[in-house]
Amino acid sequence: MRKTRKLTLMALLTAIALTIFVVENQIPAPVPIPGVKLGLANIITLITMVLLGKREAGVVLLVRILMGAMFAGSPSTLLFSAAGGLLAYLVMCLLVGRFGSDRLWIVSALAGIAHNAGQLLACVLVVKTPGVFAYAPVLAASGVITGVFTGLAAQSLLKALKKLKF
Amino acid sequence: MKKQNLVWILIFTVLAAGGLLWYFSLGHGVGTVAVVSVNGEQLERIDLSKVRKAYDLDITTEYGHNIVHVEPGAISVSEADCPDQICVFQGKLTGSGIPIICMPHRLVIEIEGGDLDA
Repeated sequence: MRKTRKLTLMALLTAIALTIFVVENQIPAPVPIPGVKLGLANIITLITMVLLGKREAGVVLLVRILMGAMFAGSPSTLLFSAAGGLLAYLVMCLLVGRFGSDRLWIVSALAGIAHNAGQLLACVLVVKTPGVFAYAPVLAASGVITGVFTGLAAQSLLKALKKLKF
Repeated sequence: MKKQNLVWILIFTVLAAGGLLWYFSLGHGVGTVAVVSVNGEQLERIDLSKVRKAYDLDITTEYGHNIVHVEPGAISVSEADCPDQICVFQGKLTGSGIPIICMPHRLVIEIEGGDLDA
């Protein structure tokens, strides 16, 4: 892939991810459990990893997290989303080759668990209250559920893009 | 291949169901002492069984502003200036188990287990 084309594509994917992230932030939380969210921007991280590669996905994710905190979050939530994002990214890197693009939902579910684990760990370190770990099981559950759905969404998107000879 | 997928579906279903069941079975512990802390620092310690009349606590720190509602046997966040309002929607805390958290404000309200009473 030509360099300019790649750069343009990365910029476009970052913009899409950022838009999804900001819009999702405006939607009231579906359940009153801290740390639970749909994580729709994860769809973009996944398809970037499949279409362009791991490094490129890492760049898109990093820029999205930093700019997302600027547009929608606060400095203190940046820490949580960065910890979650980093852990989820590592899990994706390790597993995406093993499972392939037709089983992204598995990768995504495991990345979802990793995301919430990282977020919870950062939260416990910050508030220094181990009682917060009581949220671990429900956050694992929510990571699995949202992860499966964002993974399936990424798969459908990839299929549609292939039809377009993308 | 298909079988492997089934295994994953099974693992994920068990995880999701187990996590949700765990969550909804918690929060009914016997403790009565509520601890309000911000950024790991204990600000208030209230024995909810000794509260006779409801009152509000104003928790304002560099991270943000919350109003904590204390009533006989229960504690909740009634107001917060954070964007997500999750701490407000979490409702009343009546027993130990699951704390109320306002992540953007680093606020945690938990009820200590019965044995830990000071």
